[in-house]
Amino acid sequence: MENLTLVPLDRGLLRLMHTRGALAGCFLLAAAAVGEAWVDRLVELPFGLLIGAGILVLLYLAVLAPPRRYRAWAYAMDSDELQVRRGVWTRVQTMVPLDHVQHIDVSQGPLERAFGICSLVLHTAGTLHSQIVLPGLTRATAEGMRDEIRSRMREEPA
Amino acid sequence: MSDGADRRLHPGTIALRFIKEAPQTILALPAAMAFSSKSGLTNALYLAAGLGVVLLALKWLVWRRFKYGVGAAEIVIESGVLNRNRRSIPFGRVQDVDIERTFLARLFGLAKVRIETGAGGKDEGLLDSVSLAEANRLREAVRAGRAGAGPASSTEEVAAGPAARTLFAMDPPRLILFGLFNFSLVYIAGLFALLQTFDRFLPFDIYDPARWVGLVDDYLPARWTFGAVAAVLFVAAALGAVAGMLRTVARDYGFRLSLEGERLRREQGLFTRKEAVISRRRVQLAQVSGGPVRNLFGWSGLSFQTLGAGTDRGGHQSAAPFATRSEIAAVLAEVAPLRLPPPPELVQVSRRHILRKVAGTLVPALAGIAILSYWLPFAPALLALLPLLGVAAALERRFHRYALADDLLFVSRGVWRRRLWLIPLRNVQSLSLSRGPIQRRLGLATLAVDTAGASMINAPRIVDLRGPAAEELAAEISRRRAQASGRKSGTER
Repeated sequence: MENLTLVPLDRGLLRLMHTRGALAGCFLLAAAAVGEAWVDRLVELPFGLLIGAGILVLLYLAVLAPPRRYRAWAYAMDSDELQVRRGVWTRVQTMVPLDHVQHIDVSQGPLERAFGICSLVLHTAGTLHSQIVLPGLTRATAEGMRDEIRSRMREEPA
Repeated sequence: MSDGADRRLHPGTIALRFIKEAPQTILALPAAMAFSSKSGLTNALYLAAGLGVVLLALKWLVWRRFKYGVGAAEIVIESGVLNRNRRSIPFGRVQDVDIERTFLARLFGLAKVRIETGAGGKDEGLLDSVSLAEANRLREAVRAGRAGAGPASSTEEVAAGPAARTLFAMDPPRLILFGLFNFSLVYIAGLFALLQTFDRFLPFDIYDPARWVGLVDDYLPARWTFGAVAAVLFVAAALGAVAGMLRTVARDYGFRLSLEGERLRREQGLFTRKEAVISRRRVQLAQVSGGPVRNLFGWSGLSFQTLGAGTDRGGHQSAAPFATRSEIAAVLAEVAPLRLPPPPELVQVSRRHILRKVAGTLVPALAGIAILSYWLPFAPALLALLPLLGVAAALERRFHRYALADDLLFVSRGVWRRRLWLIPLRNVQSLSLSRGPIQRRLGLATLAVDTAGASMINAPRIVDLRGPAAEELAAEISRRRAQASGRKSGTER
């Protein structure tokens, strides 16, 4: 397991993260603008305080945060297990024995489709992490991994 | 009408369900009427009688339309008055056949049979209720059918037959002792709730803190002698002990765990006699639990975590609630490869666990004291208690140990509620190593082991291992696990 090389995810995921961050940031900014107009009637606040904060949050979510989050993701697979690394604040490294996988999904949401990536979802019988999600794979990679894992899966849950 | 489903539930079921539901349905509406209008009690009684007849007729109809039967390869259940539903459960899919007898059902000589398939749904096959003889016949039939239709590995079940061997049982003295340990303070809280309800009848206000604080000076010389306070405390403690005892006796009277072929069977209960069957192959891990006092006297409890939806505490099945170490070892010996670890085998987690724990609790504690000092001038004196955080953390580390021995992982944790997990590596579903911000600064990592049927709060975790040790342990678990399952599934590949 130690000599495995970690593979980064497809760049499409980074673009997806930027887009999602921008969407969430715009939503918050809109809320801040509404809040600004509303609060103004109740108390005297320096003009643009909430909107300014909203713009900062938007910048963080859309520009600053995604690259770090993207770089935190990586995976490695050998014949026995899949390893997934993620998390900026709390780093998590999950190892899934392939022969214990119950079933596999390859899923693709509308945004993911726009960026040409999909997610591989491994379902295990475990209850704590019954789903291990690996986002940001090209369809070819995801399907290749799925077929590879499927051949390792055991018939009966032990 | 159809093949297979040729039997009906016991007719007593109608009466049983009627008695169960009558109070809420028949009495609620007329009672509401009697209260809201002035039409009087007689009208309400007529209405109640009318509703009763309708309800009885409905129950009869439901009973009439419910049929079940044991076919050649499956159990068939037909139900529904308007929407007919026909369900067939192949023998091979049946995991457990549970028989449950509530107090009411026992009066009628009935039993509830639950056929579990492990598909996660709740009422996969519920026969509520049949006679006890019929329940036993059903179980035998399913077992025989399973042996015939099931996979090759179940042939040994037939060979073992119905010869049952008791693995663990609790006699009344043991039960009483167990009850003493189940001392429950919940009932003291209940007592306070009562006080609260009736506080207007009391000569003092229980919500007046000045009173409570001043009580010692003012009342001690007068009415509230030290003896009186001690007596009240003693009575409260005695009530707690009695309540705990009653609960334990009601739940665990006649506790018996026996082995029948591939299955463990557990019986327990005084009023509601419960019976559960656990397949040995479905046992995912074992947990030994105890507490400081219990362990001091050499007692602990054993439970199994099983695959699929159990009827008892979310997949955790109690196997021996109050047993000695050797009794637990004897039960474990029947469920390979589980065994107790020799004590010195377990090692402690990193010393920095103490630091991390203190770092995590210091800030909230300081904030709490700061807020308190706003009202209470003597609050800064609480700073003197801060070293206790360190003591608590050190104590926690002392009882947090782990070991990897052959094909088992042992994890123990908890000072007050001590738990020891015995995890066969082949049942590990996934491993995760996580490092929080404080942990990263200290070079620590937490290893969590996921198993089937684990609950959020009761999952084995090794908290704050040194980074390299954690990586090594994870890799070693992976390696051994792959080896074990490689050996096992060698013929399949």
